[in-house]
Order: sequence, then C-alpha cells, then structure tokens
Amino acid sequence: MSRWLVDGWQVIIGIETHVQIKSSQKLFSRAPTSLLNDAPNTRYNAFDAALPGTLPRLNRKCLDLALRAAFALGCSVNKRSSFDRKHYFYFDQPTGYQITQHYSPFAVNGQYTSPKIGLPIRIKQIQLEQDTAKSITNARTRTALIDLNRAGAGLLEIVTEPDFRTAGQAAEYVRSLQELLRAVGVSDGNMEAGSLRCDVNVSINRPGEPPGTRTEVKNINSIKFMVAAIGYYLYCHSCTILETLGAKQKVPQETRGFNSETWKTFKLRSKEDAPDYRYMPDPNLGVLVLSEEHIEAVRREMPPLPDATRLRLIQTYSSSGVTERNIDVLMNLDAVRDIAYDGVAEDTAVGAVAYFELCSQGRDPKFVMDWIIQNFLGQLFALEKPFSTEYIPVAQMGDLLDLITTKQITRPSAKLLLKHMLVSPSDIPVRRLAEKMDVLSSVDEHSNSSSNHDSLRDVCIRAIDALPSEIAAIQAGNENVMNKVIGWIMRQTKGKVDVNRAKDILKQLLT
Amino acid sequence: MLRRFASNAASSLRAKDASFNAFVSFEDSPDLFKPNEGLLNDFSVGIKDNICTSALPTTCGSAILQDFRSPFDATVVKLLKEAGARIAGKTNCDEFGMGSLNIHSIHGPVVNPFDVDSRRAAGGSSGGSAAAVAAGLCDAALGTDTGGSIRLPASYCGVVGLKPSYGLLSRHGVVSYADSLDTVGVLAQNVQKVEKVFGSINKRDFNDPTSVSERLREKARLIAMERIQRWDTESLEGLRIGVPQEYFPSELNSASSHILSAIRHLLARLRSLGASIVPVSLPSTKYALSAYYVIASAEGSSCLSRYDGIRYGLRVPPSPGSDLTSTSETYAHSRSRGFGSEVKKRILLGTYALGADAFDNYFLQAQRVRQMVRNDFDRVFSITNVLHTENSSEEDVAGPGVNGVDVLIHPSAIRTAPRLDDVLDTLRQRDTLQDYVQDVLTVPASLSGLPALSVPVQNRSKFPASSLPTSTDKGYQQEAEKDEVGDAGWPIGVSIVGQWGTDELVLRVGQVIERLSRG
Repeated sequence: MSRWLVDGWQVIIGIETHVQIKSSQKLFSRAPTSLLNDAPNTRYNAFDAALPGTLPRLNRKCLDLALRAAFALGCSVNKRSSFDRKHYFYFDQPTGYQITQHYSPFAVNGQYTSPKIGLPIRIKQIQLEQDTAKSITNARTRTALIDLNRAGAGLLEIVTEPDFRTAGQAAEYVRSLQELLRAVGVSDGNMEAGSLRCDVNVSINRPGEPPGTRTEVKNINSIKFMVAAIGYYLYCHSCTILETLGAKQKVPQETRGFNSETWKTFKLRSKEDAPDYRYMPDPNLGVLVLSEEHIEAVRREMPPLPDATRLRLIQTYSSSGVTERNIDVLMNLDAVRDIAYDGVAEDTAVGAVAYFELCSQGRDPKFVMDWIIQNFLGQLFALEKPFSTEYIPVAQMGDLLDLITTKQITRPSAKLLLKHMLVSPSDIPVRRLAEKMDVLSSVDEHSNSSSNHDSLRDVCIRAIDALPSEIAAIQAGNENVMNKVIGWIMRQTKGKVDVNRAKDILKQLLT
Repeated sequence: MLRRFASNAASSLRAKDASFNAFVSFEDSPDLFKPNEGLLNDFSVGIKDNICTSALPTTCGSAILQDFRSPFDATVVKLLKEAGARIAGKTNCDEFGMGSLNIHSIHGPVVNPFDVDSRRAAGGSSGGSAAAVAAGLCDAALGTDTGGSIRLPASYCGVVGLKPSYGLLSRHGVVSYADSLDTVGVLAQNVQKVEKVFGSINKRDFNDPTSVSERLREKARLIAMERIQRWDTESLEGLRIGVPQEYFPSELNSASSHILSAIRHLLARLRSLGASIVPVSLPSTKYALSAYYVIASAEGSSCLSRYDGIRYGLRVPPSPGSDLTSTSETYAHSRSRGFGSEVKKRILLGTYALGADAFDNYFLQAQRVRQMVRNDFDRVFSITNVLHTENSSEEDVAGPGVNGVDVLIHPSAIRTAPRLDDVLDTLRQRDTLQDYVQDVLTVPASLSGLPALSVPVQNRSKFPASSLPTSTDKGYQQEAEKDEVGDAGWPIGVSIVGQWGTDELVLRVGQVIERLSRG
C-alpha cells in the first residue's frame, strides 16, 4: 500500500461495520426478516411501513444476539442504554428517522485481539439500530422503487477506534469479524448479500503530528473494494503531497462512496453539507435496562469463539498427530455454515469440528481426522456435493471406522462403502451394508489367525503362478510392479484382503 | 333491517350534529357480532379522529390524511367494542391534536353546543369529543390529551373529561403527536360514565411499549383505594386537598374572576364537609408552559416526519421543472399542501429545537424543567410516585411528607369558551400567543404524566356585581365587566390532579365535586 506514499507518512484507518442481525423477526416489529430472494414488499407490517398509530417494541432476541457480539468483541455492556431518533428525509426511511443508539450505546470500550491482525483493535462502541428499506433508483426516469422487506431489520453498528495502519490489517479485521460473528451466531456476515457493510475512515499524517483530516468512504460491500478504496485515497493524496513537495496540504473533510465499476471513490458530500440529524431520545422506547442476571445468562449460552476453539483443538489433539492445518480445514467448514435464526442452539446438523470430536471419542483422533478430511471430504468434493455431516451420522461413521480398525474391512472396501453411504444415505447399520455389498473381509479377525494367513498365502502363491513376468521384474528389483500383483490379488478377493499383509507375504515368498 | 336502523341512526346523528360539527364521520354499519353481555352495552361512543378505526377513516383533521383508513383498530377501540360499546363515529379535532380551540381542522371548527347561537369555541384539541358529549350525541367519547386537549374542551363545553395517568391506556393505534405526552382519555356527561368507559379500556397492552406493568398499576391503585377508605360521602374528614398558588395567575384575578369565585365557593363547600384545604406551592409551574411547547413541538416534528406522501395519505406530485435533487424537495410538495398552518408552525419550532445548535438550550433545558415540574408534584403529594420509587434502590424513599396532600384542585382554564369569531378572525392581527397560554394550567400534569380530571362547576357569574374585579384601572374594569356579562352561565371546569396511578381517587373526588355543583 505504502508504495504510493512518500516515506515518513502514516496512515490511520478506522472502520464502522453495519451487520445485519440474524433474527427471525425485525428489531422493533414482529414482521419476519427477509432474504434477498423474497419478492419485494412481502415482508413488512404496519409498523415497518410507518403507518400512523404504530409503536416500536424491542425484539429481545435481537438484543441477546447483540450481547453476544459485545462479548465476542470484549466490550463492557451498559446496564442502562437508550435509543435515539436520527432524522433525515430519504425515501428508504419510512418514518423519516432511524432508531439508533446515538447518546448511549449498549456496549462500549471493547478490544479485539486476533493473531492474524497482529495488533489489538479497540472497539469504541456497538449500537443497535434499524436497517433502512431498499431503494432502486432509475436515473433516467428520476424515479425510485422502494422495497420495505429490509426496513426495520436489526443492525449492529460496530465502531473501531482508528487503530489500523495498513489496508491489509483493515481487511484482516473485517475477515476476522465475519468469522467471529458467524461463530457466535449473530450474523451471516455476508458482504455480497449486504448483511455486512463497511464505512472506512482514512487519514494520513506525519508521525508525531496530529491526525490529518479524515475522509469517510461509505457503504463498501466487499473486502476487495475496501482495500481498493483505501488505496485510491492514498493514491490521490500522495499525488497531492508530491505536487506540493510535502507542504501542509489541506485535505478536505468529506464523505465519499466507492464505485465498484471504476474502483474509484466519488464525493458524496463535504463537511459543510453534513446533515444535522436532530438526534432525539426516542420517547416510546425509554431506557433499556439490562439486569446482571440477564447479561450473565446470555454470556453462559455463548458459543465458543473461533480463536478459543482453535486453541483448544490444538491443545487436545496435536499430541495425537492432528495438524493445525487439519483443524483449520474443519474450522473453515464450520465458518461457512448457514447460521440459525435467533442464535438457537438446537441446530439440526452437527458442525465439522463437533463431528470430528464426537467420532474421535474412543478412537484415534488422527485416524478419524484423516478419514474425515481425505475420504469423507474428498469423496464429497469428487461427487460435487456440499459439505454436511448429515449424510453419515456420527454413529454410522463410528461403526465404519471401527470396521477398519478391527480389520473387518479393508481400506479400499471402506472407501467404496463410504462412497455408497454418501451417494445414498440410509440408516441401515454399516455392518449390514458391508455384508450386502459383500465387502467384509473374507478373513475374519476372530477366527484362527493362522488359517487366514494360510488362505491369503494361497492367493499370493496363485498370484506368483499367474504373473510370472511381473514376479521376475520384482525379483529384478522393480518394486513398483508389486502394485500390479497386489491389484491382481485384490481383484481375485474382491478387495477383501489387507494390502500390507499381502505385501508382507509376497515379499516373504519371493525371498 | 338492522342495517337500516343503524343507517337511520347515523343519518339522524348527522342531522343533529349539523350545527356543532362535532363528528367528521358516522358509523352506519352495526357490528352484528358484538357480545350481548358487555359493561358498555347500549353505550354509544365517539372516537376522536386521531384514533385509528378500521371501519371509518382516520384523518386527524388533516388534509394529509384526508382519505386515510387504518388497517387496524386502536387497542382502546377494540376494547370498547369487546365491552359491547357501539362506535357512533369519529369526532372532530385540531389537526394531529395541535390546538386548544378546535379551529385548526380540515373539517372546520367545532361549535360549542352550550349555546350554538353565540358561536363559541368548543376548545381543543378534542373539541369534537367534548361537543358530541355535551350535545348528547353520544354517551361518551374518547379524546387524546397532550397538554390539556381533553380537559380544556371539557371545561369549555361543560362536560367531564379525564386525562388518565400516562401509561395506563394503550396508545397503540393512537396517531402520535408527542409520544411522551400523548394520553388517551374519556369525556362524558358525568363522572360515573367516564369511570365506566375508563374501567373498560384500562388494560395493559404489549403493543404499546409505554404501557405500564400490571404490578405497578396495582401498587398505585391499592394506595389510592386506601386513601379513599379514609373518608366517605357524608364527611370528607381525612381528605387533604392542595390548592397550588401558581395556578391562580393574574389572568384569573382580572378578566375571569367568575372562575375564581366558583373555585372559592367550591373549596368552601369542600371544607365545610370536612376536607382539609391546604395551600401548596409548585414553584416550577411558571416554566412548564415553555418547556411543554419545546418538548411537544420537538416530538411533533419527529412524529410527523412520516407523512411524506409516499406510502399513504395526500401525495402532491412535484410540478414539472421543480427541483428533484433531494428527497426532501420531493416531499415538500405533499407536506406543504397537506399540513395546516398551526402544524407547520410547530414542526418548524420543533425542528429548530432539535437542531445541533439549539438542542442543549431548548430540548435538554426543557427536559430539565420537566423533571423539576415532576419533583414539585412528588413533593406536595402525600402519596409516593410508584414509578419513581421503582427505579431507586430503596423501596420506601423519603418522599412525601406527612403534610402532603391527596389531590390538587385548580381551575381547568383561565377563561370560559372564547367566541369563534374572535379566534377565527385572521384579518385582525390576533395575538395567537393567547391560544398557547390557555394550556398554562393543564400542561404540568401532562409533563408529569399525572391523572387529571376536569369537572364542571357552577358558574355563579349570573350576578356580575358580586364578583367584580377590584382593579383600579377604570378601562380594564369596564372590559372585564363586559366580559363577565358575556360569560354569564358559561361552563367552568375545575381540575382534580392526583399522584401517578391514583386515577380512582381523582375520579372519586370528582364525583364529590360533581354532586356539590349540582346540588
């Protein structure tokens, strides 16, 4: 980023994030929240349309999700906070004001530390507020279409202190925030779908001097665009600075938008045109009082934070040979899962991490991890199916793994069985399924081991007889040909023999 | 058959109302499925036109909502119907409740039924409700009171008007003017009818976030009942009535001495029955009116910002070539035509008061005054304010002293109903500030959310000579004399104000006063 800048300048960045709360109903009305594919103006009620005589009623579920966000970001929760009306006339705002928390937000003074960002980020405040309606303007006809589906949905505005020094840190923060909010079930954090939007404040100054005039770029809906917007700002100002040879250049304080077509920012308004929002305490909602008991109850039900989960998994399983890479694969699978509404815990599908941990009970974690990642995931990928643990419930997966460890089924057969279970899931016991598919090892572990050994030995002897040229090659030192012989044995036994043991016997016979 | 009967009733009501203009629409389709056994069976109730009804338009007396029909009934309307009441129609009012004379209505002014020929104002903003009751067009009417809008017209029209404690009657479906002050109330010919209607609609409503919990209602009600037990109809021994000195401004001493004499006479009767009459002081009263207009206008400018002509209501499309660069330019066309002059004036005042430069000196200052006014009341009452003790750590805060009073009594208005010709005469540069001053006696109870009941008392000015003002100013005296003669017999209201939640106590004292006035 700094390649555009003259040395000796420092960039200061602060981020305001607007996050849609994943609640089934809106913040102050009982109308359902909407999805992008809902038909316009189908998800609103009289309150959302600002009909006369309608009054707000706080949705406590939104409040509880907001509290989770506050805990996740290390904020202190205000036991008393209040709602204010922010007035402005715009056709996406039916009441003529937005209900927000201007004077007294519910959470303040947080700190978010993530190893990926590299420095702690102070959270100034989090406020609960209403989303606006969606408007689609037609510049040619100078008209606007209004969709009230989004009007009044719950938003969190998360405001950081100006603690970022590079666009990369800013980008990493937004990525971490997405992961964090998804992990605690607060929001989808989906920038493309508009459930997470950013306003970025940027200024530059010489170290030791007071911060320069800040420019705000509003409503950025992708991390890529955010990095570009910061870059464009620095590019513009480095030009100015170079032209004036470092003389004190007056940077105008203004609010800008980002054009995703040109990748440039454009002026929305200058400081002089800054609107007077005439903030007024909302007389209907009064003081929001949070009891200590309630705060603690929400804290107790908090899902674990991703950093804590990662650390715990590493501490628990790395001694068994599970790698951090493996853990990240599982955690990334969970990070993109659909978030349940209202933060409900009784999620139907088990997450990837939980699946791994449940399957690992009484089994070798590394063995379980390898099967989940290499086979389960690998086969799903080959079948082009989305990840879900629902194809094979924990108990079934456990049975399958046990068949392998007790050598009742060979690894290739187990892979075959797994594929079948993924393609056509059923609740038939795995052992029965294996019998039906005739993939159980012909050599039963519990019967006389020498006789098994003998039967495998018989097959190996037949192989030597049947493949004289291959055997000659092996004896000449070409070890790779061994696979061809093993392949023949597998075909003969329908894959029911242990590859390693067959190899051992062959080697024994050939020496 | 029933329908014809009902529409006959509606048209007969329409004919009777022609000279008052109390109603703006009439219910002519009876609800065939109403319960047979309700407390309000055969009770006809008029509904102020800023309270939503699904069957009739809800215009708020404004052009901007002239054709608006709400998709739902307000909770209070729903409760009335459930109790068996028949909705007679919607009553005229000042636009969005903004006014004290019911002259700011798209439906025209209401004429005071006390003597139609002398064409006096009914008072406002619930002028239609008061007039409908006074003219006997309905058994009771719902009004709304933001700064006196029930008590003032009740006083001018000679009916009983109750502004209950804030937070008892649901505001769901009541069109907001100033949310922190708006209170639904009841007007009727006598206290008993008011109480009957009030009792039927006094229910907690989860659709109104300011609706007070059952627990607090009950707590306050028990205190009120305990007070009522202390005295009986024979003797008022044990009832302590406060007379706040600030509620007898100079306007009363001069031009409206008949009001003063009526109150004096009433107090004397109450004392003779054993009640203690205690002079009290509410020193912040003098700031209350200014604070009220700042708060009410500020909230009004906010609450009325939803009327933009986009989703409902009057829409005036921008004329060709007009400025469309901002949303507000587009809205301005509808809002300029849709709102009347009084509403515009208050929106501008409120918008100014909320501006970044004025907020501290106006809005915040007014909030501080509001707290002072509340504190004044809490100091003089013998009953603790259950709303305030609730939020403090100790249950029994050192609040009211042993010398506190149970209720306050003061005149409802500084005058009797003014002539419509005087207040409507726009050619004469009338001092419109006088319209605001009419609320001076009613706004403190609104700012504090206290129950206040206006009950008619006898106007004894049939004998002007006995109550002539003592002013030495000759000219002034003549003017007053003229006014006295003109006011002869016109209704005077007395207000009974109680601690929060003691509405039953206030009603009971009102009943005593009613009996004294009639006897």
